[in-house]
Amino acid sequence: MGHFLIRRLAGAFLVLVLVSLMSFALIWLVPGDPAAAFLDASATPDQVAKLRSALGLDLSLPQQMLGWYGRILSGDLGQSILLNRSVTAALIERLPVTLSLAALALAFAVFFGVAAGIIAAVNHNRWPDQAVMTTALLGLSVPDFWLGLVMVLVFAVSLGWLPSGGFTPFLQSPSEWLRGMVLPALTLGLVQVGFIARMARASMLDTLSQDYVRTADAKGLAKLHVVLRHALPNAMIPILTVIGIVSGALLGGAVIVEQVFSIPGIGRLIVGAIASRDFPVLQGGLLFLAVVYLAINLVVDILYAVVDPRVRLA
Amino acid sequence: MAKHIIFGAALAAALMLGGAQNALAQRKGGDVVIGISQAPPSLDAQITSAQASRNVTLHIFETLYARDENAKPVPELAEGVTISPDGKTYVFPIRKDVTFHNGKKLDAADVVASLERYRKVGASPALVAAIDTIKASGEHEVTVTLKQAQSTFLDNLSSPRAPIAIYPASEAAKEAGKIEVIGTGPYKFVEYRPDSHVKLTRYDGYAPNPKGTGRDGFAGKKEAFLDTVTFRFMPEGGARSAALEAGQIQFNETVDGPTAKRLGTDNRFTIHKVMPFGLQVIKFNQAQAPANDVNFRLAVQAALDMEEIMAISYADIYQMDPSWLYPGAAFHSMVGSDKYNKSDIKLAKELLAKSSYKGGKITFITDNLRPNVDTATLVQQKLKEIGVEVDITVADWPTVSKIGFTPTGWTFWTHGFGIEPYEGPGSVMAPWVNGLSQQAKDPEIDRIAAAFNAEMDETKRKALFDAFQKHMYDAAVAMKAGNYGIFQASTAKLKNFKPYRIPRMWGVWLEP
Repeated sequence: MGHFLIRRLAGAFLVLVLVSLMSFALIWLVPGDPAAAFLDASATPDQVAKLRSALGLDLSLPQQMLGWYGRILSGDLGQSILLNRSVTAALIERLPVTLSLAALALAFAVFFGVAAGIIAAVNHNRWPDQAVMTTALLGLSVPDFWLGLVMVLVFAVSLGWLPSGGFTPFLQSPSEWLRGMVLPALTLGLVQVGFIARMARASMLDTLSQDYVRTADAKGLAKLHVVLRHALPNAMIPILTVIGIVSGALLGGAVIVEQVFSIPGIGRLIVGAIASRDFPVLQGGLLFLAVVYLAINLVVDILYAVVDPRVRLA
Repeated sequence: MAKHIIFGAALAAALMLGGAQNALAQRKGGDVVIGISQAPPSLDAQITSAQASRNVTLHIFETLYARDENAKPVPELAEGVTISPDGKTYVFPIRKDVTFHNGKKLDAADVVASLERYRKVGASPALVAAIDTIKASGEHEVTVTLKQAQSTFLDNLSSPRAPIAIYPASEAAKEAGKIEVIGTGPYKFVEYRPDSHVKLTRYDGYAPNPKGTGRDGFAGKKEAFLDTVTFRFMPEGGARSAALEAGQIQFNETVDGPTAKRLGTDNRFTIHKVMPFGLQVIKFNQAQAPANDVNFRLAVQAALDMEEIMAISYADIYQMDPSWLYPGAAFHSMVGSDKYNKSDIKLAKELLAKSSYKGGKITFITDNLRPNVDTATLVQQKLKEIGVEVDITVADWPTVSKIGFTPTGWTFWTHGFGIEPYEGPGSVMAPWVNGLSQQAKDPEIDRIAAAFNAEMDETKRKALFDAFQKHMYDAAVAMKAGNYGIFQASTAKLKNFKPYRIPRMWGVWLEP
């Protein structure tokens, strides 16, 4: 297990180095000038030059790169150009919002996805199976921004059941937090339901054909008992991996959903940073998301290794 | 006679009754949420020229002078001004009845500190560039001396672009972006949640300008009836409209034409037109061929059908007007109208033949705002008719502005001028001085602008602005397509709202 952990940590570190390089490379790759973006069309070249100097954009790229690595190694992600605060502070402010949105969306996705997968597998090649698979395919094909707007039109505008957007902190009012989070979390989660459902179906079909399940069936145990107590635990092993992948996708999807529902999370911070060329926020945000994504995958890998010893020996 | 008396009495009674009903309708209370498309980069009003910041900060902060309904500078925190005969010394008596949101009384020291701070960190340093010294010449009097006479000084002082807001001296001592948000305005700051909202509450200690008789631009009598005003940052237009329809916001800062039409048929909502909001401008890069050739520029100017451009780019909310200032402005001028909106293909071809353009593709850069892309497309189609090949490059604002600020990589660039014509003739001329926007110096513009700044006589200043506008057309320095507006939408319960450059939440109230 120790070797397995070291291998995984080393891999994660390598990925982080690569992500940090790619984050820095944004300065080369993305056209546009933060100074020009910050000032309006009537700015004089002198004003632009002054701002560029204040932002350190007039330094050579190796100097900027050394500065960037020097700062991140000391835990400093730099200062936002636009937000008048450190990147770390801006990320920490928004972290609980995005994590709570992603967690709720994950809960929706796992609950509905696994349930739909089981229903499809148990009814293999019958109409419930086909209905679930068709719906799953539809879910996978629908863009989340479109789904979000439809959700708003139906549940906020027409029915008036839920707010169309905005965010109330959990500590301020748990009920308002939940009301505000339902539509964005559903939007974010539903797109992933199809993915989990398809994987859960395949895994469950595989498990249901195993001898020990047939034995349990032959013993006359109730069908539900066989499925949930005997088949599901083993079927969950590949599903766990999928949940890891989905968690990453949810963080990515949050970028769009937070924009549609006006939720002040990390996704919205990053979109704003792209539009304004706030490179420190963009670089820090991407690095931060990569760390969270790697951490989730690491946890999933460890869980996987705990459940299935063959994994850590591979 | 008796008939007249009876009629007069009836009229007076009717007016009194109407007035009483109006007074009854004006009730304190209510919370308004305004959906705005961008978050303010800062609430330190002095350091940002962002529209999103103005929307919020002009409810919190006030300036010595502010613009009235016709954008003319009028006293706000100053009682007035005495200008020396040489035009270099301005003495401002400061109002004595004003209290900041932290309870401190406004005095000359606050004004001096605020003006000095703007000179150091203000986002539009040109506004205060003419100032030599600022001194408190009394407890409630400030004297400003200029290096040289500047006819636009009161215009500058009252500009809402990056307002020269008056802070308590203790705050003005702080560096950019580090202030506590404390002003003298009708609403005071409550909280700013990044990427979410800014919340303001009515300031019951507010002292409206006694000279004001009612709402008047950014000046006048500002009466706050609402309990709170919240600006919620909602970048998606569809989400803002949905929020208005769902009752989550009471005012939408901007809606597109089709949405305005749809909501306009529903009596739960009111559509407001802010007209004009900006000028659609098409710039030439005169640093390189072919736009460095006046005949080429004149050919393009003659060819374009500006009405077609405006009708498609800003359907339902545009007006044709050759002036580089808004209608109603003191110096609004029709000079140059003989060359405006001609769509004269024959003349254009003749002028093009005289120019150095002998074929080849030239580049039109535009940001991804729909009306700007439409403008570029229409120019491309029209110029094809006279034999000019145009390639369009569309990117986001940071990318396009980076190219447009340089003398290579583009021939045409289009975008709106909103605040400049509002600020007045000095601001309209400024982007062309030193070749800033056209990338090549134009001695005639530089001469006119310098003379305009130094000239204190109103009639001569008007003549100078006319000369500027004539030169813009005669040399086709750049082209104005027309004036455009924006639609705003509110709940019909929001009463007495009058559109202006920002959604003003004074003088308005909410009906239950």
